[in-house]
Amino acid sequence: MTVKLFSAALAAASLIAAPSVAQINEQPALGEPVSFTVPDNRSFTLDNGMEVTFIQYGLAPTTQISLRVRAGNIDDGSQTYISDLTASMMEEGSNGRTAEDIATEIASMGGELGVGVGWHSTNFGVNVLSQYAPDAMGIVADVVMRPNFDEAEFDRVSQNMVRDVSVSRAQPGPIATEAYRRLLFGGGHPYGNSLPTEEQVRGYELADVQAFYDGNFGAGRTRLYVAGRFDEAAMEAAIREAFSDWASGSADALTPAAPNGGPIVQFIDRPGAPQSTLRVGFPAVGVDHPDAPDLAVMNALLGGSFTSRLTRNLREDKGYTYSPGSGVTWGMGGGYWTFNADVITEVTGAALMETFGEITRLSENAPDAVEADGIRTWMSGIFILQNASTGGIIGQLNFRDLYDLPDDYLENYVPSLNAVTNDDISRVASTYLDLDNVVLVVVGDLAVIEEQVRALPELANARFILPAPTDAEH
Amino acid sequence: MTIRKSLVLALGTLALAACQPATDSSEQAANTNGADTSAASTSFTVDVSYHTLDNGLRVVLSEDHTVPTATVAVYYGVGFRNEPRGRTGFAHLFEHLMFQGSRNLPHGAFDRLIYGSGGVNNGSTRYDFTNYFEVVPSNALEAIIWAEADRMGQPNLDESQLDNQREVVRNEVFVNVINQPYGGWIWIDLPMVANENWHNAHNFYGDLTDLDAASLEDAQAFFDQFYAPNNAVIVVAGDIDKDETLGWIEQYFSYIEAGDPLPEIDTSEPRQEEEKFDYIEDNLANQPALAVGYHMPERGTPEYYAMILIDQLLVQGDDSRLTQSLVAEEGYASGVFGGINLLGNAFNYSGPMLWTVGLIHDSEFTVSEVMGTMDTTIEGIRTTPVTEAELERARTKLLSDFYGTVDTSTRFGLVDLLASFAMFDDDPSRINRITEGFEQVTPELVMSTAQEYLRPTNRTVLEVRLAGDDSQ
Repeated sequence: MTVKLFSAALAAASLIAAPSVAQINEQPALGEPVSFTVPDNRSFTLDNGMEVTFIQYGLAPTTQISLRVRAGNIDDGSQTYISDLTASMMEEGSNGRTAEDIATEIASMGGELGVGVGWHSTNFGVNVLSQYAPDAMGIVADVVMRPNFDEAEFDRVSQNMVRDVSVSRAQPGPIATEAYRRLLFGGGHPYGNSLPTEEQVRGYELADVQAFYDGNFGAGRTRLYVAGRFDEAAMEAAIREAFSDWASGSADALTPAAPNGGPIVQFIDRPGAPQSTLRVGFPAVGVDHPDAPDLAVMNALLGGSFTSRLTRNLREDKGYTYSPGSGVTWGMGGGYWTFNADVITEVTGAALMETFGEITRLSENAPDAVEADGIRTWMSGIFILQNASTGGIIGQLNFRDLYDLPDDYLENYVPSLNAVTNDDISRVASTYLDLDNVVLVVVGDLAVIEEQVRALPELANARFILPAPTDAEH
Repeated sequence: MTIRKSLVLALGTLALAACQPATDSSEQAANTNGADTSAASTSFTVDVSYHTLDNGLRVVLSEDHTVPTATVAVYYGVGFRNEPRGRTGFAHLFEHLMFQGSRNLPHGAFDRLIYGSGGVNNGSTRYDFTNYFEVVPSNALEAIIWAEADRMGQPNLDESQLDNQREVVRNEVFVNVINQPYGGWIWIDLPMVANENWHNAHNFYGDLTDLDAASLEDAQAFFDQFYAPNNAVIVVAGDIDKDETLGWIEQYFSYIEAGDPLPEIDTSEPRQEEEKFDYIEDNLANQPALAVGYHMPERGTPEYYAMILIDQLLVQGDDSRLTQSLVAEEGYASGVFGGINLLGNAFNYSGPMLWTVGLIHDSEFTVSEVMGTMDTTIEGIRTTPVTEAELERARTKLLSDFYGTVDTSTRFGLVDLLASFAMFDDDPSRINRITEGFEQVTPELVMSTAQEYLRPTNRTVLEVRLAGDDSQ
């Protein structure tokens, strides 16, 4: 196809005059930035302590129910994933219903019960056609309040967990994350145990599940979010009927943990791997710290967006990797910043050198206004999208509630980003991304990469952890 | 279903996207089938207007003001099905090149424009199209339309960018396929075994030697042939003024000349008459896996609509028959997954397609045990009419999926359906009549469709074996 800038035939047919060269070659100005407000929501609390939030949102006649119990991996103690096993057993039936009964009933409403466990909570979600939402609420209440915990289902559910964990351990990403989190938090806090061993899982009994449930589930640790297009009066009545007689449950005993720094490097061998899987991290502060917005903006500029420096350098200039990325992980008692990438084996050392170089450059020099303004504008726009779905707004409100942040946290979020100065971006990089404190995990073909990594001057003082020799090698 | 921490079963779904796959393409990748079936749903109608410019560019506009953002998607009618022989993976590699700069947006400027205005963008390559999409605060809409026109009309195809993106794509193949257990078995390997016609049976991600051989001349020829306005659809949805938006599209796209007629490519598949078996050895896997693919009825036929419902009956959701038999009753696997067009949905393709089922199962269960249960379950659909109640439940699930697809923050699911119905059916308003085919499906049609299309002789079974395991 050839391009002719002045095509009379085409222009004549269009509704407007022939475009001038300027009209085609000059970028139209952006209009006035749009403003965005957090969708209206209202909350109330049942007498037993359960908190309920309603959000009217969306176009389609559907309703999302998200019930979140403050019982997650952080409550596992030494029984890694006992919260996950409890959640899986809760899917197996309740109040006389079998799992198949529940699946069939909710499918008839257009939905499916989803149960997931995170660091801090167990989440029960269904998304149904709105006319069925009050009925779906009744089923959710049964699932969380009256699990069958049927011994006949236990072995199969336990075996599913063994299988899933085994498959995770075959993947370089989960392998790297497991080692990385252990370095940051040690084995004494659940944050440091991202996967259980097979022996651990095989040792769990139904009594352990019952004990976890009894110790952690109750109305006093539960928040219920309902978002979509629904009849609030009918929904509130259904909630009061279903949940009012639920006991408050045990008090919440959340154990915070602050991450450890380095310099420390752990190698995990994956002979013949075409790529090295990297985790490069540093301890940081929690989301309630005054530096939290600064860290978020710094992260987006350094590695957390597609236009970030690390993405431009490692991917778009060097071609070392496909999907580099960075992020701040907030936890109870602290947070940490991580850069992750899968890089071609042969350039592992070079990729780390570029990564350290970008960290140093940002630590030493504030970004210019064009770059920093672009990042702040991006984060403001993304915030609109993050709030612009039923699941999105529920996630945002739950984040605020979980960390006990101010009621106006979401309203103030964009202003807080815009208050971060260009010097602040450099300051938090310098404060937190201190290469003398780096925590690094490299999963790859050690025969090729070990020397490259050890040769990096930034790691001169680091402690290196090598894989233990396997029995087969003796 | 349990939301598992390791997204093992989501493996292939994010692949073949140009940008960061974990952040903004998940909705695009969701395997969702949509249908609108009941009177209760008539309260929800998608606004649609459809136009064609003189150069052949089809334009679909959809206005809603719930969120102050606008979504722009440009779909080109070329996918990996019609990429050239000897250049496997080229459609996808070319997709990457389209992000590397155009006359007025040098390398990096396109992304900076989108992100710097508060948006995100991505692209993906599929069987029958390559798409480029972005969502931005609505104040940036005119600039984004201008930018999409700039890369359709005047891309910079550059040797150094080709070399760079060749490396990025090599990394993409490594991270999604070669360095992952179960990396490509079900969405790359299975179609290669199941299909006979090269267009459907080659490696869509590309043999690495083919990627190495791709030249700038290939890129220019490919662009000239396929990236013409008469082979494209642009969709703009969201917080827009339709007249103003159409004016901008005419202003910025009209100068681009129509291309030559597209080459006729025969992508048809012969009727399969014998069951096929194959296996791959996966050095990284630690549990065996099994994928089964059946050739679909032709898109748009009554049997096709029946097959979409059969997919719901058999494999979508915890209530589905295969989930119940393979997972809940027998405990062979933690989950079973599959669907029509694993790289999209039942609507966004045009040509032969597989209906696929897969699972990762324990070593202690043999393939014949797992297949025995699967056969018994599938034979049930072939030999006994489903009840009206079960069929209605399948329709309800489809309706709910449809709502989930079109009512999202990015509107990527909505624009994908609009673009697909424009590109493959020349009728984007079909989105509001998506129910019609399903309403006519009877239990008898379900059974007769299953008789023909769920024949064992219409299927391919692909095993993933562990390295060194020759016991089977």
